[in-house]
Amino acid sequence: MTQSLAERASAHDLDLVALAARGDRQAFGELVRRHGSAVRALLRRMGADPALADDLAQDAFLTAYEQIGDFRGEGPFQAWVKRIAARLYVRRWRRESRLTASEDMTELKAASDGALVESDARIDLDDALRQLAPAERVCVSLCYGAGFSHAEAAAALNAPLGTVKSHVKRGLDKLKARLAPSAKPLGLEANGHG
Amino acid sequence: MADKSFEAELERRFADAPSLPDADLFAVRVGAVLDRGWGLRRILIGGLGLAGGLIGGIQVLRLGVLARIGSLQTAPQTLVASGLAHFPHVRALADIVSSGSSMDIEVLWMSGGLAILAVGLFATRTFRDL
Repeated sequence: MTQSLAERASAHDLDLVALAARGDRQAFGELVRRHGSAVRALLRRMGADPALADDLAQDAFLTAYEQIGDFRGEGPFQAWVKRIAARLYVRRWRRESRLTASEDMTELKAASDGALVESDARIDLDDALRQLAPAERVCVSLCYGAGFSHAEAAAALNAPLGTVKSHVKRGLDKLKARLAPSAKPLGLEANGHG
Repeated sequence: MADKSFEAELERRFADAPSLPDADLFAVRVGAVLDRGWGLRRILIGGLGLAGGLIGGIQVLRLGVLARIGSLQTAPQTLVASGLAHFPHVRALADIVSSGSSMDIEVLWMSGGLAILAVGLFATRTFRDL
């Protein structure tokens, strides 16, 4: 019934999920070890400081453990936990009322100025995201980091769909201005958002 | 097309998160919280179950519910006795059980019921932990 450390380390995510659903906390621990960094990184990219990102990631994994029976394996386990974590962050972010029109406009202007100054520099995604207004950063991260559709992001944020779309559009334009010179087109079709 | 290409590149960059140096530590931390929560839950459920069982048992005894149920058992007992007449060994066991006072029988039935419940809960918890 219980697997050895080596067996767990080489087991597929779905096998570990099945074990965790039967109460094997060590199997779930292996899932946390595998995907913890990705979930924490997403939260940091959404705007959480490292300590908050760790706390929310922990809450997301605890929630995932509680609800692991609901995981149908239709997508990767990591994507499922990321969605849980993203919702937790959005809930907290909304509670702290960071989404205010004045703040948006102020940071929007600051971001535009910054983009002009550093447009020729090679900036990685984390740095580029920091230049976005909070609402843009959250919307872009939800749609491209956590796999939300625009409608799902709007529902999570309790915001009009058009507002979310415009935040995503502005955020993408800014990211493209900063990242495109160093980006290598993959020739892949993007997943549909909307 | 350029937009789609950039969106795909962005998704790839989001997915390409580096492994943080304290990944194992984070996993240990989550595991510890999970274990602590599970332990607390066990103690809480066990404590509440014990308290509820005690209160329920005391109330049942104080209200004399079992005595009233016992008074309703006359007819079934006659039926059972006639049935047991065909099985001498079982009849002998039943005689031993029914030889005490009505209070003794109530306690016996109650103890039996509680024992079955306890065994059931223990088995459920054991299978879940396995």
